[in-house]
Amino acid sequence: MVRLDPYSPTPAARAGRIFMTVAPFVMGLACVLLSFVPFGRIFGSSLTPAFALMAIYYWAIVRPEMFPPLAVFAVGLVFDLLSGGIIGLWAFVYVVTYTVVISQRTLVVNAPFSVFWLGFLAVATFAGALAWAVVSIFYGMPVPPSSLVQHMVLTVAVFPVFAMIFGRVQTRVLPGG
Amino acid sequence: MDSNRTALPFREFSHRISLVFMLTLAAALLLLGRAETYVFDQARQVVTDLAAPLLEIASRPVAAARRVIERTDEYAYVFDENERLRAENARLLAWKEMALNLEAKVARYEALLNVQIDPSINYVSGRAVTDAGGPFVDTVLVNVGREQGTRSGQAVVDTDGLVGRIVSTGPKASRVLLLTDLNSRIPVVIEPAHYKAVLAGDNTDWPRLEYLTNVSAISPGDRVVTSGDGGLIPPGLPVGLVIQTSDGNLRVQTFSDRGRLDFVRVLQYEFPSQVERQEPPDVLKGPPISSGADAAPTSAGATSGGTE
Repeated sequence: MVRLDPYSPTPAARAGRIFMTVAPFVMGLACVLLSFVPFGRIFGSSLTPAFALMAIYYWAIVRPEMFPPLAVFAVGLVFDLLSGGIIGLWAFVYVVTYTVVISQRTLVVNAPFSVFWLGFLAVATFAGALAWAVVSIFYGMPVPPSSLVQHMVLTVAVFPVFAMIFGRVQTRVLPGG
Repeated sequence: MDSNRTALPFREFSHRISLVFMLTLAAALLLLGRAETYVFDQARQVVTDLAAPLLEIASRPVAAARRVIERTDEYAYVFDENERLRAENARLLAWKEMALNLEAKVARYEALLNVQIDPSINYVSGRAVTDAGGPFVDTVLVNVGREQGTRSGQAVVDTDGLVGRIVSTGPKASRVLLLTDLNSRIPVVIEPAHYKAVLAGDNTDWPRLEYLTNVSAISPGDRVVTSGDGGLIPPGLPVGLVIQTSDGNLRVQTFSDRGRLDFVRVLQYEFPSQVERQEPPDVLKGPPISSGADAAPTSAGATSGGTE
């Protein structure tokens, strides 16, 4: 009888496995960098959507085990460090938003895309309101909300495109997709 | 027993613990960040320097795409634009004559009056490689840093006017605080009335005018330029035009458009702010102040006696 050797993955297979595990987090970081690429200047505007919020919402709903709270915190902190704004603002807003999304996850996890999108609208509104409240307390006066509203409207508007990209990555790259 | 059954509640428990820990850490960071400690500033600069080359590469296709769109626009309106430029050129030639005459006249007056001329301004050019990246911050990164002589506080201009000022620098990249940012305060003067004010960003497209002493003397359309107060920003840099909002407040429409920022110049201006302390002349010096009431006549008497 032929005895099979115990399975030992090749280094390439191991690297692939590691990549698949950290792929959502890497995509979150890429989204942070993408937020600073001046896409708006093509059309003569300085508006950019909150790409990182889209990544956090998507992965928190679809694969929360692959986007743990530590990853959310790291994404928010990198955003804070790059933006030059209040340190800890987006780390705090993203972690609180993630907590809310995780607690309400069952409402949208297997729902049609329209519900998933509506859920994102609610989450973007919550995150925007929380960020506005924190910034207003920080500066001791109500900050004009116009740019925040435009930012969040744009974020919700472009969410389907990014949800589709994340979906492709989820089904084709991630294990158990 | 199935190991997955025992692992699942444990995983959920550890996930919750991690969530609580991260929430606490994020709240603590928010409070600690208020102190703006040295550690956070250093971390910010390290992350900025690491990300700047990547963002510069990523911003190139964006700049190219924008140029294509602008070029298409230009082709569409090339005849109209040509006609407009001819008319403008004729108008500017008359202005040029006048400017040359005035320049010669001012130079002659300055020589006559022995006016101290402002120090010359050097500059270094760079490209704005990022966008603001958030709704509460109006800063951009430019790809010039300490290695090119950039320092915190230096003014940044583009072809239209003042853009903002440098607030932090790394070896290869610097952060520019735009005029519209909530933290931006620039001393300006409003022409032709020549009233001074402070241009204060408030996270909208039109910064406010603060500490304006005579509002009635200012009218929409007046030109706003830097005053040079404080010695950080050179005087006379064009900033924008005064506008009146629907609620009657005076604000400024900046000449530079933050949605179209591309190449910028960092002005290396050093106002001679070091003033040496000088002792007053002897005639202005009073008698020495003594500590005791009865000691004064004695010491004064001793002094006069010694002189005689």
